[in-house]
Amino acid sequence: MGKRVAICAVSQIKNDGDYWYLRFQNMLLPCLEAILEQTGVTFDLDKGIRDIITCSDDVYDARTISNNGVTDVVGAHLRGEEKMAQEAINGLGYAMASILSGHDDVVLFMGHCKETQTESRLMNTNLAFDPFYSRPLGLDFINANAFQAREYQDKSGLTDEHLAKIVVRSRENAKKNPYARENELVTVQDVMKSSMIADPIRELHLYPVTDWAFGMLLCCEERAYEFTDNPVWITGFGNCMDSYFLGDRDLTSNFSLKRAAQRAYEMAGIKDPKKDFDVVELMDSFAYQLPLWAEGVGIVDEGKGAEWIDGKGADDQNVNLSGGMLNGNPIILGGVARALECVLQLRGEAGKSQVKGAKRALAHGCYGAAGQHQAVVVLEK
Amino acid sequence: MAEYFGVKVEDIFNTMQERFRPEGAQGVDASFGYDITGEGKWKLTVKDGQMNIEETEDLSDCVVVTITDGETFVGVNIGKVDGMSAFSSGKFKAEGDLGALGKTAKMFRKYAPAKKEMSIRDYLIDMFGTVVERFKPEAAKGMDIKFAFDLGGEYGGQWTVIIKDDTCQVIEKIEGKPTIKLEFMDAKDYVDFSLGKIDAQSLLAAGRAAVQGEINLALKWGEFFEKYLDPMASGEKEQELLVLKKTISVGQRFATGPVMGKFLNALKDKKILGTKCPECGRIMLPAREICSECRVRFSEWVEVGPKGQVRYMDYVYYASPDPLTGETRDTPYGMISVLLDGCKGNDTFAHIVRNDQIDRIEFGWNEMAGTRVRPVWNEKRTGSIFDIKYFEIDE
Repeated sequence: MGKRVAICAVSQIKNDGDYWYLRFQNMLLPCLEAILEQTGVTFDLDKGIRDIITCSDDVYDARTISNNGVTDVVGAHLRGEEKMAQEAINGLGYAMASILSGHDDVVLFMGHCKETQTESRLMNTNLAFDPFYSRPLGLDFINANAFQAREYQDKSGLTDEHLAKIVVRSRENAKKNPYARENELVTVQDVMKSSMIADPIRELHLYPVTDWAFGMLLCCEERAYEFTDNPVWITGFGNCMDSYFLGDRDLTSNFSLKRAAQRAYEMAGIKDPKKDFDVVELMDSFAYQLPLWAEGVGIVDEGKGAEWIDGKGADDQNVNLSGGMLNGNPIILGGVARALECVLQLRGEAGKSQVKGAKRALAHGCYGAAGQHQAVVVLEK
Repeated sequence: MAEYFGVKVEDIFNTMQERFRPEGAQGVDASFGYDITGEGKWKLTVKDGQMNIEETEDLSDCVVVTITDGETFVGVNIGKVDGMSAFSSGKFKAEGDLGALGKTAKMFRKYAPAKKEMSIRDYLIDMFGTVVERFKPEAAKGMDIKFAFDLGGEYGGQWTVIIKDDTCQVIEKIEGKPTIKLEFMDAKDYVDFSLGKIDAQSLLAAGRAAVQGEINLALKWGEFFEKYLDPMASGEKEQELLVLKKTISVGQRFATGPVMGKFLNALKDKKILGTKCPECGRIMLPAREICSECRVRFSEWVEVGPKGQVRYMDYVYYASPDPLTGETRDTPYGMISVLLDGCKGNDTFAHIVRNDQIDRIEFGWNEMAGTRVRPVWNEKRTGSIFDIKYFEIDE
């Protein structure tokens, strides 16, 4: 890799269980203003932002081409605008490609999702399936993921108690994160007593309904210091798409995640993912996914996820110190939220969760039933 | 008259009375004409929750006249032809008040083609005619049985089903001494029993049927023969699965946010509020948080209008019925873009114009002013964009 792409600034609103009094445009606007304030960047056609990437979920917004409805609050009026119709973490790859290709120097990247607008997440994710075969069966991202969870339990020996520990840890970590959704602390017993919704997934194993928005400013290496003294570099990116039909996949092989990670590691020159990262953020929308994805990105040996939970491996490797998605980020943004947390860590702005001297971080995101599409980003100071 | 999809044009009209839904015709007082090329003309009159249909040449007092060919008319009515496509392609035309035509959809239950009936005799012939093909030799291996059927009534008759040497044979009489004899006073009962519409116990208890001989063997019938399938049960030809029709709906709770909320709330007080950009001075309508051009938050609220001038209008000829509620708009309607007094440039406000004034609206262009209009407010205002019913010419 010759040139690098910098993340010059990040901004967010607090993750909330119900921004009932805000339009999603209201959620984005403070994120835009914070970026402008932090960096002094303008929308000047020669030197400023000429291209904006946004991420939103049309079904959650109940609006076709939902990016068209937020132009003013992301500054996209009379500028180039492109939408990431995939887990937002891929927007980093998109922005990176735009900058490395020389198409533009500065890219603003914004995203939002207001999960509370919809009556039912299950109905929305049911719409992710084909209308002839899977949708009538009632498949959604919970019961489809339960297939994966069950199979992974068999493969790794992950128990109900392990899952409960993951939830307890997520909530404890999130208490240190001022932008995390406010949740009650829970005990292992609380989690194990929470209602079973799709065996083995219990209510507390699943990320809560959340509203959130964020912003990021990306820039080419040459100009990064115009906007910050403390850039974070994207040094690796890879993503990979697996089969749409669940029946075509081995649900616990992590096939697509391994491919995505391999691609990112090659680009960033990562030799040993177990040792090379100071901070790791994995998109655990469900408790069982934390050890599963940890295996997939290679920070845990295959099939050893349960032991890793027993052995405090997640703490030793600084995994999801932010609380993770499990504590609450909306769908389609759970991965980019991981990247944003990594940026804060590398900038030394992670507050009570700060890992001293963090130099290199791994951020992961996925979207689709049982992690169909996977993406991995390597970030460095 | 020709048949289309197995249905005649007159079948549709002749069944209107029985398909009529008075609850769907509330408040309708109008006549609707149908001019079906090469088939004839009909007039439907609806008033006070009642209807009348007549074949007539005179459609002059109809609010709307549907003009189409027999195939399209029947097709649309029985769901074989997509109404919207037929409308777009010009095969299905309507002259007059299209919105009124939309109302007729709610007045009638869908036309269901009548099934061709099978008589009791048809069933008996079919039931005994298929006994041999329904016979399962492996289940009746080594059996030597004669099932006799003595069915009374107008359409009855006698049959014997003979199982011997792993074969089956049916004769249309009873001869010799059957192993078992089933008697039904009325052949219709036997047909109903075979179709599963009535159970044997009730027939036996009521004395309408009797069994002689080895009763246990009677119960074996179901093992020896495949179940008789009602040829009428499948009814219409199976749907050819090239398309699957579904209506998708997921409930939503749209937040207005404080700015859009204040804008909507002001409509209750018959006020139209915009937000003003502190840099360029433009007024945003509907009110928004930020000027997209200057990228700054608004600085003040400004009341504008309520009168203004039309900048653009378009004629809309389709009613876009809501698939969930059936709600439509009266057509044709005029969608307008109004530059309210106090606003300038492109900061216009979209609404609709009074239906009977559509043809009198002049557009504004550059310095040229468009037709002056004013809002007509709803008596009951709820903070919705339809607190303004429509705009009308200010004269």
